[in-house]
Amino acid sequence: MRLNDALKWGLLVWMAVVIWAAFQWAPSAVGFQGESARIVFFHVPTAWVATLAFLVSCVASILYLWRRDPMNDVRAASSAALGLLFALLATVTGSIFARIMWGSYWNWDPRETSITFLLLIYAAYFALRAAVADPERRATLAAVYAILAFVTVPFLVFVVPRIWWSLHPDTIINKQGTIKMDSRMFQVLMGSLIGFTGLFVWLYTIECRIERIRQRRQQELL
Amino acid sequence: MSNWLAELTAVFVKDLRAEFRTKVSLNAVGLFALTTLAAVSYTIGPYRIAEADRPFLLGALLWIVIFFASMAGLDRSFVKEEETHTAALLRLAAHPLVVWAGKLLFNLVLLIVLMAILVPLYCVLMGYRVESPWWFLAVLATGGYTLAVTTTMVAAIIARAMSRGALFSVLSLPLLLPLLIFVIQGTTAASQGEVDGVLSTLRAVISLGGIMTVLSVFLFPVVWND
Amino acid sequence: MNDLMGITLVTLIIWVGLFAYVYRVDRKVRRLED
Repeated sequence: MRLNDALKWGLLVWMAVVIWAAFQWAPSAVGFQGESARIVFFHVPTAWVATLAFLVSCVASILYLWRRDPMNDVRAASSAALGLLFALLATVTGSIFARIMWGSYWNWDPRETSITFLLLIYAAYFALRAAVADPERRATLAAVYAILAFVTVPFLVFVVPRIWWSLHPDTIINKQGTIKMDSRMFQVLMGSLIGFTGLFVWLYTIECRIERIRQRRQQELL
Repeated sequence: MSNWLAELTAVFVKDLRAEFRTKVSLNAVGLFALTTLAAVSYTIGPYRIAEADRPFLLGALLWIVIFFASMAGLDRSFVKEEETHTAALLRLAAHPLVVWAGKLLFNLVLLIVLMAILVPLYCVLMGYRVESPWWFLAVLATGGYTLAVTTTMVAAIIARAMSRGALFSVLSLPLLLPLLIFVIQGTTAASQGEVDGVLSTLRAVISLGGIMTVLSVFLFPVVWND
Repeated sequence: MNDLMGITLVTLIIWVGLFAYVYRVDRKVRRLED
């Protein structure tokens, strides 16, 4: 418990420092409208967490199908719920940036398309869960769908944007494979990435614990 | 060895015969496609789209019609088993993968029939000029296969859920969107005679189809035996 | 520079608020578990 608490307070401090650094320490990015580039410190990590959450969901799904431990279904659903939240945040922050930078909220730029499809996959996953009454069948079908959906994500996220010309700034993942970002900005971005990942892990564990309590209560009632 | 082939044929022929008797899927898919084609042809027709945009837009529209027509009928072979309560018997009678292969074959045939009628009609009505017809066919074939294998898997998933029809579309479309993007690209390239574009599309579509096939082989028995 | 400081402070406040909320939930869950 001590270590857990320390980690949580550590996260508070870490993210506070990241926020400060994002607006005060990192330099203004050249070529972007005003200070709008600073949104990248929040936009990129949320998109990253949305994909990470989906990966966790998929792994939990595979484990569920393998061992049939109901806890893994809980893990898959919890991670998916958080993934959906972060995907929404990524879409919104990206849209705000697009408005500032290019004047319109939405352009169906390949990356914008990819995040929309990630949202659609999450929505489909929960639609499926809602449509199946029996808990074990629900867990199985949801797990299968999560795996199928996860396979399409690499195509959406990596292949499609490469093929099409993109409005998306090419500062990190680009054809040359180099990092075209100021070093301070990069450090803040990495720090933010770690912080958001930590936040996700914390929220995820809470979600799982709540669900376990709920299931334990249901068992006790029976 | 030859036993599973016989079983596969049996499943496939059974579905085919049932389909010819009632023609439910054929009607749904066919009517949807033709109605949409009529609507598109009437409102847009061969003349409304600027010459420069034609290869891309006409390709996109074609695939959108194909996709939505598929949504109208490609889940039928599984849903029918549940509705007529023959699913349990089928589970006892045949190996899951045989069932999968038989139903995949059925969906493929359905799709081939759809494309055989729709595509020529579309090209004529919309004035779609295709520079490389063979590459065009290749995109249609590989795209069609990947479409069939994906929808077969989704159909198996939704067969025992509520609100099946809507759920089929909701679950299929996210999985099919990368495919959609690729085949539209490939069709555009084929209509302009750009072999490089077609080849890169074929690579992507074939890898998608291959992955979906492998996944289906592992996951279909799980869903079927549940 | 002033605007930037304003945004910084607002974001920090939002973050601390969010953290406090999640921490409270965490504590409640912990109590339910024991």
